[in-house]
Amino acid sequence: MSFPTFLINLLYGFTIGSILILISSSLSLIFGVMGVVNLAHGSLCMLGAYFGLTLVLWTGNFWLALIVAPIVVAFIGFLMEVYTLRPLYGLDPLLQLFLTLGLSMIVSNLVLHFWGGDVRSISIPEALKGNVLILGTVYPSFRLFVFIVSISLVISIWFLITQTKWGIILRAGVHNMELVDALGINISWVFTLVFTFGCGLSSVAGVIIGALHNCNTNMHTDLLIWGLLAVVIGGLGSFRGAVIGSLILGVSEAFGALLMPGLAKFTIYTVMVVILLLRPEGLLKEI
Amino acid sequence: MKVSRAHFKWFALCFFIVFPLGSGILFSEFYLSLLIRIFIFGIMLLGFDILAGYCGLASFGHAMFYGTGAYLAAILLTHVTGSIWAILGLSILANTILGYLIGFFSIRTRGIYFVFLTFALAQFFYLAFSNWNFVGAADGMAGIPKPNLGIPLDLSNRTVYYYFTLVILVAAYFIARWIVESPFGKVLVGIRQNEERIRFLGYNVNSCKRRAFVYSGIFGGVAGSLIVGYLSFVSPGVYHWTLSAEILVMELVGGMGTLVGPLIASGFVIYLGDFLSSWMAETWLMVLGAIYVICILYSPEGIIGILRKLGSIKRFSPIGDKGP
Repeated sequence: MSFPTFLINLLYGFTIGSILILISSSLSLIFGVMGVVNLAHGSLCMLGAYFGLTLVLWTGNFWLALIVAPIVVAFIGFLMEVYTLRPLYGLDPLLQLFLTLGLSMIVSNLVLHFWGGDVRSISIPEALKGNVLILGTVYPSFRLFVFIVSISLVISIWFLITQTKWGIILRAGVHNMELVDALGINISWVFTLVFTFGCGLSSVAGVIIGALHNCNTNMHTDLLIWGLLAVVIGGLGSFRGAVIGSLILGVSEAFGALLMPGLAKFTIYTVMVVILLLRPEGLLKEI
Repeated sequence: MKVSRAHFKWFALCFFIVFPLGSGILFSEFYLSLLIRIFIFGIMLLGFDILAGYCGLASFGHAMFYGTGAYLAAILLTHVTGSIWAILGLSILANTILGYLIGFFSIRTRGIYFVFLTFALAQFFYLAFSNWNFVGAADGMAGIPKPNLGIPLDLSNRTVYYYFTLVILVAAYFIARWIVESPFGKVLVGIRQNEERIRFLGYNVNSCKRRAFVYSGIFGGVAGSLIVGYLSFVSPGVYHWTLSAEILVMELVGGMGTLVGPLIASGFVIYLGDFLSSWMAETWLMVLGAIYVICILYSPEGIIGILRKLGSIKRFSPIGDKGP
């Protein structure tokens, strides 16, 4: 493999990884704060992609879709949290996991019902259709744009977590939610906010994936499994862990598809099983 | 007359025994094959209830037992023997070993990690069997020969297969009932309610959990073998995680730890699926999802909980909250 090929694949891996971060970090934060593994995350991400598709078809404006679709999905996430998850706090945590499985079934089949099973793609704006030259190699500028957008989102979330008062509440919540409650902070609204925000974030990823690859009605499974894998590798509840896990997955996907197409998935599940057996808390414990 | 639990069961059994007489006259033969599928799923759900409902180990990879039973039957029927007894025997043996191994590894983790681990292990099987050319890779195997009983009754006849699965289902029900009512079953309930306490009482919790895995694996494997004998077709879909999810849904809709609940739920879900998918194709799953969500939110005891609330049937489950 020549150096430019290597570099392009590495960059592509980071691009996939950076989209994956949007999904896995929100999954991880939701788990860290609320103790819920949201199995509907993949479906909400897909819902975002399809909303984006429809908005682009109606208005022709990609930027509008990138902003409005996540807001709509976030609102749906808000309704889900308030009306279905909230009554279950304090009960068996597995009950919430099973509930989100049901929500996932509802959302993904609603998408299938309203948009049909065709594979479609979100058209990208003219300005991003060209290629750029990186170290003498041609690279699609949309991929570069995706990478920059995702990374800047991740950096701003990191800033939010480490530098603001909201972030302090969040980090405290990951450690001990009851204590945060005892300090007079309304945790049920913290839960709602985190869930709403997480759903919005994952559907940003959905719109991007819809434009980068395509929208299809089976994508939610892969998105969820990849997000879960990244979270398990990085450590449930850890933001940095999710970032590292996603980048590992992204890069291994980019090179795995190149070097050993059949084995890549096996390797990933092996890593998941080994990590769960030997170090169930994942690579990182801290947020 | 007050309808008691025992009456209800015998009514149901009598109904299912006379049911095939009306087939082709009162209703189409399609309902017979629907019931065969329901019985087969019921067998698996009985086993899953021992594991998830009684022992509290809600595995998200139960399809691996079903799939192993199914592929084993497919391979044996195609290449080795047609005897259903040999197939069921080997299926029980294979799933005993598999259940022990899966139990051995997965009970080291708990809670959410247990769910993930069982999921990942089942996905291994899915990937392995969708890449293994000997069993047809992703296309699966079609046109598998029918099994035989070894006596002059033809299992390729739908009515015979119906009675055969019904007999196995009834036997499986009584075996499952016997397991959960035995001292071992009480220990399983104790593990679900308070594992530490059972450990302090001197029981080997891990060995009990492994046994629960073995039992539920056997039921799942028998179900898998039976479905292949009926459909003459197998594909890697029998290992797919959506099947594991469906099993979980049936378990929760029926009511965990009641044996009868998951049985009723398997019938309800499969019938609903067939009924709705005639007008809305695949998207009927959203209706199932909605029912499932409503069940979790408003009736955590599932269908059994609703029946109990209606008061027509007294407690099905002798265990309730009376742990050791």
